Amino acid sequence: MENPVPDHVPPEMVRDFSLFTSPGMSPTPNGDPHAAVACVHSGPPIFYSPLNTRDGRGTWVITRASDQRRVLQDTETFSSHRSIFASALGENWPMIPLELDPPAHGAFRSLLNPLFSPKRVAALEPAVRERAIRLIDGIAASGTSCDVMKDFAFPFTVNIFLHLLGLPDDRIDTFVGWGRDLLHGDDVKRPAAARTIVSFIDELAAARRNDLLDDFMTFVVQAQVEGRRLTKQEVRGVGVLVFVAGLDTVAAAIGFDLAYLARNLKDQELLRSEPGRIVAAAEELLRAYPTVQLIRVATKDIDFEGAPIRKGDYVSCATMIANRDPAEFECPNTVDLAREDNRHATFGYGPHRCLGSHLARREIVVGLEEWLARIPAFRIKNGTAPITSGGHVFGIENLILDWS
Amino acid sequence: MRIIVQNAKCQGHARCAAHAPHIFKLDDAGYILPGNIEVAEGEELTASRGARSCPERALKLDREPCSTS
Ligand code: HEM
Ligand code: SF4
Repeated sequence: MENPVPDHVPPEMVRDFSLFTSPGMSPTPNGDPHAAVACVHSGPPIFYSPLNTRDGRGTWVITRASDQRRVLQDTETFSSHRSIFASALGENWPMIPLELDPPAHGAFRSLLNPLFSPKRVAALEPAVRERAIRLIDGIAASGTSCDVMKDFAFPFTVNIFLHLLGLPDDRIDTFVGWGRDLLHGDDVKRPAAARTIVSFIDELAAARRNDLLDDFMTFVVQAQVEGRRLTKQEVRGVGVLVFVAGLDTVAAAIGFDLAYLARNLKDQELLRSEPGRIVAAAEELLRAYPTVQLIRVATKDIDFEGAPIRKGDYVSCATMIANRDPAEFECPNTVDLAREDNRHATFGYGPHRCLGSHLARREIVVGLEEWLARIPAFRIKNGTAPITSGGHVFGIENLILDWS
Repeated sequence: MRIIVQNAKCQGHARCAAHAPHIFKLDDAGYILPGNIEVAEGEELTASRGARSCPERALKLDREPCSTS
């Protein structure tokens, strides 16, 4: 391996742990990657992982939720500017707003905030609910078993998202395939998918410049920051980010949530008989099954809680680790659907807090409400096993439920 | 009771408003409006729940009886 530990990292701070290579991180039938990473809390609060990005780089790993907040709130020391997506293509342009730091970040973020605000999401709710009901009624009518991912989670979330973006939903399978290759594909599929998505967004932007519609890309090509239109590269940065960020995340959350409920019939029955508990329960399931690892780059040398972090080092704030921090959550490895003060890290901390968080929460709550109202006691189908995986974004490939 | 609002720390999670929209008012982008919040009598529990729900720790409880300002 050609990823030697840098000289400034004390050997005793290096640990054999990685979101990519540790046990339970590769695709595993009946896996529980979240429980697998929770074990880091029996070790030191910060350590160095020699191989903790997809391209084989080492990162510092911040395990405490309070330290993650410090890192993510201090954007001067811990920059988000790293062109991760573009570098996979041998290019260098930021995804916007994710890979811009304040103050540049703020202008773009303010532009997008109203489109995804709690108010805007409340207005979208009836359409979201109708979509859920239509899909679940179809599933209930056609039998007593289905693959939740293929038949519900993806068509539900991706359809809502494509509507928002003004994209045709007859291409859902194509888009989901790009997302899967990008997030979970090999070294050939990943850059190919990235390239496809970039050309798709570029073409979409060009089409909207010629022919204005009432949709997201039209908004982006017409929008102004600091008194000027966005450059083509900025339009691409925004379009690619929103496309990639919304494609797979909510579906994965719904998959992990229904897998939990399929294995915990008491909790399932509780929510079915008292749907008023679903909002708090969804919050707890978001805490227990988050999907994203946040990466920052140190802009200067800093000694952080005993770790000699040097300029250019990668720093990982994995939400799945913060959410299992016993200093922040009582019995963190227990799912308690009535948990109070649930200030989890699932949508990140600091200025890059997930732009889609309000939409994601609504979709998850509505999805669970309508699923539980329409599908009787369900279990994981005998002889099948959901395949879960770790990595930069945790995922669940399949979830065959049975309610016969 | 009073809630001290540190606007610079607010990142628009909107968790406070999810607990008590009438106490924690947000702007159109979903971030908390500036200004500390005087909590009406009888609302202390809801207000402290809301304040404790902020992931960024932008809301602080001030339990001193408020001086006449
Ligand atoms: C359950 C589902 C989701 C989860 C767990 C999630 C998680 C996250 C996290 C942790 C971040 C912070 C990344 C960082 O700071 O490095 C983030 C940022 C972001 N998310 Fe989400 N996300 C979800 C759904 C969505 C959806 C549906 C959208 C679509 C609009 C979206 C759009 C974004 C954008 C644009 C950013 C960047 C914001 C910025 O840099 O200011 N996310 N998300
Ligand atoms: S919960 Fe905190 S960060 Fe979120 S809107 Fe309220 S004050 Fe702002």
